[in-house]
Amino acid sequence: MSETTSDTADMSTTTVTTEDPTPFGWLNTADHKRVGRLFIVTSLMMLALGVLLDALVRLDLTDDADHVLLDGSSFAQVFAWSRESLVLLFLIPIFLGVAMYIVPLQVGATNLAFPRAATASFWTWLVSGGVLIGAYLGNGGPYGGWSDGVDLHLLALGGLVLALLMGAINVATTILTHRSRGMFLDRSSPFAWSMLVTASMLVVSLPVLFGQLAILYVDHRYGRVFLGGNGGIWERIDWIYEAPQLFIYTVPVLGIVAEVVLGSLRKKVFEPLAMYFTIGLVGLFGFGAWANFSITNEGTDLADGFEGIVLVGMYGGATVGILGLLALIGFAAFQSRKNLPKPTAALLAAFGAGQLMLLAAIYGLVGAGVDWLEIVGRGNDGNPYLRDTTWVTGQQSVLIYGAAFLGIVSALHWWAPKIWGRSLDNMMGMLSFLLVAVGATLATVGPAIAGAFAETPDFVYADANATSLYSDWVDASSGPGMAWLGLIGILVAGAGMIVLKVNLLISIVLKKGTEADANPWNGIAPEWMLDSPPALGPLSELRDLDSGMPLLDAALEAEDVDEEVTV
Amino acid sequence: MADTILALDAGPVPRPRSQMVATGFAVAGFAMMMAGALGWYMALRHASVSPGHDWIPDGVAVPNPQFDYALLTLVVSVITAHWAVYASRRGERGHTWLAIAVTIVMGLGFINMVIFSMNRMEIEIGSGQWQNLAFAITGLALALVVIGLFYLGLMALRSLGGSMGRDGTAPLSAAVFFWDFVVIAWTATWYAIYVVK
Repeated sequence: MSETTSDTADMSTTTVTTEDPTPFGWLNTADHKRVGRLFIVTSLMMLALGVLLDALVRLDLTDDADHVLLDGSSFAQVFAWSRESLVLLFLIPIFLGVAMYIVPLQVGATNLAFPRAATASFWTWLVSGGVLIGAYLGNGGPYGGWSDGVDLHLLALGGLVLALLMGAINVATTILTHRSRGMFLDRSSPFAWSMLVTASMLVVSLPVLFGQLAILYVDHRYGRVFLGGNGGIWERIDWIYEAPQLFIYTVPVLGIVAEVVLGSLRKKVFEPLAMYFTIGLVGLFGFGAWANFSITNEGTDLADGFEGIVLVGMYGGATVGILGLLALIGFAAFQSRKNLPKPTAALLAAFGAGQLMLLAAIYGLVGAGVDWLEIVGRGNDGNPYLRDTTWVTGQQSVLIYGAAFLGIVSALHWWAPKIWGRSLDNMMGMLSFLLVAVGATLATVGPAIAGAFAETPDFVYADANATSLYSDWVDASSGPGMAWLGLIGILVAGAGMIVLKVNLLISIVLKKGTEADANPWNGIAPEWMLDSPPALGPLSELRDLDSGMPLLDAALEAEDVDEEVTV
Repeated sequence: MADTILALDAGPVPRPRSQMVATGFAVAGFAMMMAGALGWYMALRHASVSPGHDWIPDGVAVPNPQFDYALLTLVVSVITAHWAVYASRRGERGHTWLAIAVTIVMGLGFINMVIFSMNRMEIEIGSGQWQNLAFAITGLALALVVIGLFYLGLMALRSLGGSMGRDGTAPLSAAVFFWDFVVIAWTATWYAIYVVK
């Protein structure tokens, strides 16, 4: 792994910018800390929209004879909108936001590689998100009745993709080129490494969507010749909202798990290279979702079972990666069994997030395996593939409502002192953890059972009206009950995130949280060497950093010296 | 006797190669975009026509000489772009600007030639599957050319501001690296859509 250098002293004097401390300074800021906060807070607001829309979708599935609040076309629109909101307006940007704040501090950079581009990415994302919402409100989007609104939705999606790509390239470039002198990649913090993996994977997967959007736009705008008009859009772009692509977005959860657990234990894993390898493996096996046959409308029967084998391999690889990482961290905890840390909200949420990531991978492996067996004819009972049922919704739930929510709860509790200078309330954090963990479990189990045993369809592309009218499917007897369970689950998980937001409001905005010193967790990563929060503008304190765990290294060195003196 | 300094001063710390790395990421992303779009085109073509037949609608003729000249222009522009980098490294300001200017003019000429060729084909957007795909994917490739030209233009201004020499050429090198990719992307587009048809 190559070594890179940070900005030179001469260069830093030329790159210092003065941040406007007034609220207007947020508009054109060139400070990674401000952009990070903007992404985090705005994504948390967008989350409410995604959960609300998903609740409407799930409510509609609780009646197996008719729609509840929606009708055929609006169900399809809300379905698409909920997925887009959860992934493009919440999941990807919130991790980018945390990374924009924390990663430069962790690698010893003075700022992001392209601070202005980071600001541009935020505003482009926000404006595109606003246009996306406007398009849906005007009856646009997939299956929408307003033709220009459908086009507008495609343009907004393009803007969102470009904005997120700008952010991802910025974070990845910062990690690769702005590390301080002596900071090798295999010494960097696990969160920084996980962000490098996820950003790299975003860069090579999201542009495929952009190419598709261009073709979809031309065809929809001019003649609707071959893609089926507004009804042919969703089936070609839904791969970015489903596993295995979802694993790419949730790789940072693994970094957060490693960061929080190892930081709380004040311990390294016995083989750091293996830790980086396992995190990389999960990103790698999440890649390639765009290559499914449904995109071209060919081979939707999973020709020759090839796609089934590929999916089994992908989920198998992800399972091995996550299992390996958790084993490494678990072993570190076992080594520290006599000195285990006090359970905190951040630690519990990290623990839960890790388990749910593993569950998601195994869940995917089981689903892909069953479908593959169906395809090759062994055990084929003529039922629909699991991937066409709410089984898929179950996997989305465990990844988004489970692993990602808990990852965010953990990250914000862990880094709130560094980001805002105040600690979040631990009891409220525990409540968030509990609600999200229980809610995510219900949100996963409900659709999983409904999909596997009642074969409730996840979505019917050809006829959006048929989605909740699934009485002609094989067995819908327990579908509605399980749909209720899923609905209750996301509402409970959503309540957990509301508690997190209230916690942020009380502790940070109303300043009720304890003022944090530089290292309130007795952490080991570089960011804990700085003031909480660090001053605005480029920082140069970490220029000589040569480890992702400098505080632990220093403590170990001090112990060695003490032992030598004693001897 | 005065002390003799035997050790040399440390050399300058290398500049972060951020722009080149970011350009590399952008190239990887755009390559995936073009590969995805062309892959979709090829899959649809495979589903629509029997082997050995053209997918292009009857009565539409591809003006091969014009497309060939357009490609040739772009390939030659790679040479002039690298000439700019070579000259910039040697600090030859006049050559650098001339080479960038020639590259940009050839790029604009290329765009003109492609648009002319498409007009000459008299295909209408919205009139068929092939037409829509050809317009969309050619449009993506042309957008890359426009981005490449903009990038080169921006770096030309930077050279104008004195960013030259061994250390100062990195930004221009990154722009030229992107330009190299643009040429490859167009070559793939041209071959898939206008040669294989």
